[in-house]
Amino acid sequence: MSFITNALSGVQAAQIALDTTSQNVSNMMTPGYTRQGAQINAVNLHGYGTISPGNGVNVPKLLRFSDSYKDLQLWQANSQLGQYTAGYDYFTQLEQVMADDSSNINGGLDNFFSALNAASVDPASTPLRHQVITAADALGKRFNTLREVLSNQQLAVHQQRTSMVTQVNSLASDIAAMNKKIVSMSTDQFTPSGVIDQRNQKIDELANLIGIQVVDQADGSRNVSLRSGQPLVAGSVASTMSAVSNVSGGQDLKLNFLNESFTLNSDNIGGKLGGLENYESNVLMPTTQSIMDMASSLATNVNAQLAAGFAMDGTPGQPLFNYDPTSGTAMLTVNTNLVAQDLGFSSSATEPGDSGNLLTLIGLKDQPVSVSSLGSVLLNDAYTQLVGRLGTDSQQNSVSLDTAQTVRKQSEDSWKATSGVNQDEEAINLMQYQQMYQANMKVISVASQLFDSVLDMLH
Amino acid sequence: MRVSSTQYFTTVNNALQDNNAAIQYVTEQISSGYRIQKPSDDPVGSVRVSRLAREDAALTQYKDNISALSTRLSYNETTLQNMTDDMLQARDTLVWAANGSNLSADLNAMASTLVSLRDAMFFSSNTKDQEGRYLFSGTLTSTAAISYDSTAAVGSRYTFTGNTNLQNVVIGNGITQAANVHVAEMAQLLNTLDTAIAAMQSPTADPNNPATQADLTAGLDAMDTAINTFSLKIADLGDAQNLLQTLDDSHTNMSLSNKQATTLLNNLDYGEASIRLNGYTAALQATQKSYVKVNALSLFNLL
Repeated sequence: MSFITNALSGVQAAQIALDTTSQNVSNMMTPGYTRQGAQINAVNLHGYGTISPGNGVNVPKLLRFSDSYKDLQLWQANSQLGQYTAGYDYFTQLEQVMADDSSNINGGLDNFFSALNAASVDPASTPLRHQVITAADALGKRFNTLREVLSNQQLAVHQQRTSMVTQVNSLASDIAAMNKKIVSMSTDQFTPSGVIDQRNQKIDELANLIGIQVVDQADGSRNVSLRSGQPLVAGSVASTMSAVSNVSGGQDLKLNFLNESFTLNSDNIGGKLGGLENYESNVLMPTTQSIMDMASSLATNVNAQLAAGFAMDGTPGQPLFNYDPTSGTAMLTVNTNLVAQDLGFSSSATEPGDSGNLLTLIGLKDQPVSVSSLGSVLLNDAYTQLVGRLGTDSQQNSVSLDTAQTVRKQSEDSWKATSGVNQDEEAINLMQYQQMYQANMKVISVASQLFDSVLDMLH
Repeated sequence: MRVSSTQYFTTVNNALQDNNAAIQYVTEQISSGYRIQKPSDDPVGSVRVSRLAREDAALTQYKDNISALSTRLSYNETTLQNMTDDMLQARDTLVWAANGSNLSADLNAMASTLVSLRDAMFFSSNTKDQEGRYLFSGTLTSTAAISYDSTAAVGSRYTFTGNTNLQNVVIGNGITQAANVHVAEMAQLLNTLDTAIAAMQSPTADPNNPATQADLTAGLDAMDTAINTFSLKIADLGDAQNLLQTLDDSHTNMSLSNKQATTLLNNLDYGEASIRLNGYTAALQATQKSYVKVNALSLFNLL
């Protein structure tokens, strides 16, 4: 009576299938959960006699609906997304600070040259001269405020980088631990699907932070390496990364694997760490240098022109600006010993009412200065060009960010198409396996009735 | 194509967030009135707007200078006019003095009139401003324009100690206008007048004396010359005022044109913005409604 054992095998198979379906349904909203199914095979005849339809059904193992190519696409999209997300907030903040007309350097320069123009109406007038000094002080303050914003941003970038490196290290060691667990748990019949899902989640988070390449190993573990080839996770061994200060004021990333140490090339890091590196080297540091060059040129040119003129008492003009490149908060200040009479507006030592040198000073607005990332530009136009460049870079970043978001969304959709749970599908499976279970139970109950009727025969 | 349950949820979630972000951006534009909220919205446009603003700031300063300069030139004109009036009065007195029927007592009396006119012209030439600087000394503003030396001989007591240099004011891009006037010719006039006065003050002054006659004639000639010269200076000041007015109008037009260009570049088109706002709001509402409807569909509700 093999039909009773067949029915039993059917009931057991239905039970396993129902367990699997219920696992899928309960994990419907779990992020990164890969749906599973039961592989139900017919058991071929291997019994007695030549006429036998087969020996029921068995479930050799559970299926995991995953596509490792889609995993790779998902992670690469996350690296791109991280790269452009990292710089976005910094770009927005810097743009808004630099473009604000009431506080930016262009406004300060306008006021300074307006004050000089006003002084030309009556060059020997003390209040008008004093206004020039006040405007110069205000201009210096605007330069200093911007310089502070830039150095605060650099500090924030360094802090963020350090904390991201800590996260990378902890993710790498988690992945290595999971690799070890997966290798020890995997058998021919059993794939530890839950642990694999968790490991994939960790890899995804890691991909957001730094660009990675993932290679499957035969024993079930995944090796993770950086884009330039250095290993981050090899089997159950993880490397550690660190961020160290370098000579140009930025930070370098170092990777320590076993006893060897590599310094990463800053070109192709990828992920959020790559985005921070791009922002710091290509936007933040050049802009800082340009602002410093502008302040330095302004101070040098104005002081030189004033020195070529004469104060009201006939002595050569005193310098107006002090430029200190080492100070973070007082880069451009006004000479505190200067009083209104000391400004060298006159072009002759004996004529206090002359304004020849003042007119030349006003003409400095249209003189070229050398600014590091712009080349030779007019003093009055340098800042506008700087902001224009920043605007273009920021726009590029925003556009790339939009694209990266779209690509990530598409890769997520594609991943879910294979591995995501569809509740209607699971509901149907539930009903079908339930019917399978009930039908097999009915077969057993029929077998039982037949056996009872055989026993009745004996009474 | 297979669609998982969470995929619909994330699609709607992203759509709602995108719509909200777009609505927020339009609201920011509407509340500020500007199309460009930050440079990356339109890098080239924001550079143009910035350059227009720089030019406008310079034009505003030029216009301020023009109005201050105009005040100063008016003051100069008034003072010169006063001096010219004094000269005309002195001229009339000299003409009267040259009349042969005057007695020496008459000449003495006329001399004292001329003395006060001479002193008035001297003090006018040395007018100072509120900070104590001389207005008519050219660029030597801490030195008096006309200096008086009582120890020198009559006829050389007055010297011009200023200079004839100009104080230039910026009233346009590369355009300057002189703000000051000098009174160099006043020294010669005062000296000639002084000589005539000395002749008229003598107790035995006689208009028929050839020497006295010569002094009086010299004084009259000098007075005529000075009146001409100063009238020319006043006319020049009038021309300068006309130039200032023309330039002021030109600057106003330039400024207006710049403002129009800025408006075109940067002002928000409210019609387009409100259409956009409506569109996003409608999309948001539709997404929310459809999500609630579709989300209620589930086979589990029917089991």
